[in-house]
Amino acid sequence: MALGVFDQDVSPRFCIKFPQLYQEGVQNVLFSWKRILSWMFNGVCNAIVIFFFCTSVLETQAFRKGGQIVELQVLGTTMYSCVVWVVNCQMALSVSYFTLIQHIIVWGSILLWYIFLFAYGSMPPRISTTAYKVFLEVCMLAPSYWLVILLVVFSALLPFFLYSAISMQFFPMYHQMIQWKRLKSNSDDPENRPIEPTSTTASEIRR
Amino acid sequence: MSSNAAASSSGGAGSADSAAPRRNSKRPKYSRFTQQELPACKPILTPKWVVSAFILVSVIFIPIGVASLLASRDVVEIVDRYETECIPEPLRGDKVGFIQSAANKTCERKITVPKRMKSPIYVYYQLDNFYQNHRRYVKSRSDAQLKSLKEENETKSCDPEGTSGGKPIVPCGLIAWSLFNDTYSFSRNNQQLAVNKKDISWKSDRDGKFGKKVFPKNFQKGGLIGGGTLNESIPLNEQEDLIVWMRTAALPTFRKLYGRIEVDLQPNDIIHITLKNRYNTYSFGGKKKLVLSTTSWLGGKNDFLGIAYLTVGGLCLFLALSFTIIYLVKPRKLGDPSYLSWNRNPAGH
Repeated sequence: MALGVFDQDVSPRFCIKFPQLYQEGVQNVLFSWKRILSWMFNGVCNAIVIFFFCTSVLETQAFRKGGQIVELQVLGTTMYSCVVWVVNCQMALSVSYFTLIQHIIVWGSILLWYIFLFAYGSMPPRISTTAYKVFLEVCMLAPSYWLVILLVVFSALLPFFLYSAISMQFFPMYHQMIQWKRLKSNSDDPENRPIEPTSTTASEIRR
Repeated sequence: MSSNAAASSSGGAGSADSAAPRRNSKRPKYSRFTQQELPACKPILTPKWVVSAFILVSVIFIPIGVASLLASRDVVEIVDRYETECIPEPLRGDKVGFIQSAANKTCERKITVPKRMKSPIYVYYQLDNFYQNHRRYVKSRSDAQLKSLKEENETKSCDPEGTSGGKPIVPCGLIAWSLFNDTYSFSRNNQQLAVNKKDISWKSDRDGKFGKKVFPKNFQKGGLIGGGTLNESIPLNEQEDLIVWMRTAALPTFRKLYGRIEVDLQPNDIIHITLKNRYNTYSFGGKKKLVLSTTSWLGGKNDFLGIAYLTVGGLCLFLALSFTIIYLVKPRKLGDPSYLSWNRNPAGH
């Protein structure tokens, strides 16, 4: 929610300069079924990557130097940590306007998860049952725990990153074109190379 | 609304009413936060960023992949499947009958060490097709009972293995009831190899979950025996086999630590194993394996991590190269509105 409120793909100055941006809302390009289903597909792919990578890496063999093997709580903790990291990094990748608040929320969520694991695991076993000391004693010092998280985060986000890079470069949407303009030119100079507005309005009137 | 106007006219913090004296202005107080003008960085996926990101990922991942694969290759692992071999040939027609009978269950096995194994060498038993992650099985335990003597009668969550003959079973529940009870002893050149069975469980379990003053009581005394028995004079926090077994596994194929051999094994050593094949996995078609394994800094033998890192790193390197070529060959047109989807498709979408 905080990310939705504070994100800004194009600054207010540019919004006024390029009224064609409003067409993005009128034409429903941002919330079309195609986009919604592709986000859902992205979520399903991430889930598949998380599950299969975690179970294949943490298989029957020992996961730490001391010969200990993986049980229910270790696998669960590892998978949930992967989910927390993937979701937050996915948000970091899709946001185009990074204020301090965004940073606090994204990295803070991840930190909060570890604080929770630490605090809940330190409570007596009556309350924490299977999570008792699971992070502190078991996962924190296991290199394979951290390596699995690193692998899963990058593997899960690779398709999305690829898609963003290709669409930004070769199939940019209007607000993305304006972001390019802002980058290439001096954004404070209003005289600088306007996108030809006359031909666009003519074509729109024709419709 | 009126309070805002009052604040702006009295506080005078923003640029709201500097020139003309406009009273009762409904304009909200200006702040960078409410006008969303906070200092921000606005990253865009330029070609430079994309290619650098891919190269950075491949530079990090490929060495990690190589290191992980080398660590996994360093580990020496011997796996010996014995559940069928350890039943005498003529009796293999009725395996369940054999295992439930009082016949002699001792079995002699022989394994050869392929490479030098440095101590400590971990001895595991591996079970296949054993669903320790079944929901009712996982819930069938009483943590309160395991921890303290006073809560001996807390057996509600352990049904049907909660009480026997009207008295509570300690430890109760299906997990404890199905305790694994095959035993192994090792010898090399007619010399016994000691197996250290201390500290095979997690310290937090020994100290936090299993009580010092709780002793097994009324255990496996019912009609249906599910697994091993327990020595009633040893408190639960020292029954390490039970503690290891009670940490339920996540997947149907799992290993559990049996003990450690603290001498080195040389290549081509022949290890004789005398095992007691008591545990019944035949009713559900499970497999039993004995595993001897060394460990590396990463753990046991599993090539997947190394291969996955190398694959992702290699893929990123390939993508970095392809993107570089594409960006050089096909430069993008800047801001041409005919690319807009609603202009490209005049009939609507």
